[in-house]
Amino acid sequence: MSLKYVTPVAMFKKYLPKDYVELVDFGPFGKTQDEAGPGNMGQFKELMEEHPMCSGCWMAYYIRLIFASLPCPEETVTLGTAGCGRLAISQAAVPFIYGNYGDQNAMASGLSRAFRLRFPDKQKDVITIAGDGGTMDIGFSMTMHSWIRGERFTTIMLDNEVYGNTGGQESGMSPKGAVLKMAPGGKNFEKMPATALAKAAGCVYIVKMSPTNIKKAAKVIRRAIFVAREVGPTFIHAYTSCNIEYSIPTEEVFADARAQEKDRFQFEEYMTDAAKEVIDRIEAEEKAAHRAKKGIVAEEVN
Amino acid sequence: MYYVAKVNADMCAEYKCNTCTLYCPEANTLMFDKVGNTSWVDEDRCKGCALCVYVCTDMLSRNCITMEMVHGKED
Repeated sequence: MSLKYVTPVAMFKKYLPKDYVELVDFGPFGKTQDEAGPGNMGQFKELMEEHPMCSGCWMAYYIRLIFASLPCPEETVTLGTAGCGRLAISQAAVPFIYGNYGDQNAMASGLSRAFRLRFPDKQKDVITIAGDGGTMDIGFSMTMHSWIRGERFTTIMLDNEVYGNTGGQESGMSPKGAVLKMAPGGKNFEKMPATALAKAAGCVYIVKMSPTNIKKAAKVIRRAIFVAREVGPTFIHAYTSCNIEYSIPTEEVFADARAQEKDRFQFEEYMTDAAKEVIDRIEAEEKAAHRAKKGIVAEEVN
Repeated sequence: MYYVAKVNADMCAEYKCNTCTLYCPEANTLMFDKVGNTSWVDEDRCKGCALCVYVCTDMLSRNCITMEMVHGKED
């Protein structure tokens, strides 16, 4: 849905869905990141609503952060596939398309192309958010081919290093030696080098991170979306632990994410020159707008 | 009977801090009240993971959030 199509008029407000009106009045619809962004989560009505994910799930937290960081939530469509992530992604006020297992990047290819034909004057953002199984195991061929074709959309991999939704089978992204409920002998193979594969397949902006620093994580998500609008495929590989399958006490989930940041998920950022150009330009524009706004506020105070 | 987070509003209001609201995995649950300058918990939505306790106690050493048992109306 777009804010331009349905802007609540005062006299008709009572007939519109309450949730939509609340998102316009108290939520991020039609507002900037300074007013309703990741930096002030908890002070506005968020796009994401109550979800059935486990208590203390770091994946749910990262999904919440993704939705708070969207540059233009009214013009965004998310795609996902089977897995834990879709339980929370589908509970947001952003259109969500649920595909067969692993085909989210194939669907996103068609969808992003169709949007460019149908809305040539508009910037529609397409984001696929799927787990490590959907992106790197079962959906591997479709993910790789969408990157090789240079499709312009963002792929976010929520890497919990296990098939958490089906009882703890090892996935391609599980680290070597990981002992899981359905892999009691320990994993024999190495973790897949997802970011290296993305680089080889032609992604123009690639980040590997553990989302512990909100500002940094939000900046990465926004950069990936901005670059995907103009240059080519972008990929974020984020660590979102499974506290059930890896037996992490819920109150230590954040501590685990910080530990992983120093271990397997050290921050890596790769961008091509074309991507860097876009990022520099947009961030300079944002800074200028921010400064201009600050100037207006200062004038009003004086 | 539920295990939920409770914010000590008087202690919390002393700090200009909304760090815990940034790290809750649930949306619209741990909220920040700009007027009272304090965080508060929507107890019906809290799943009791205690991540906010880690943020407030272990990271910031402010000890404003505790986990407590609450009873529903029928209990």
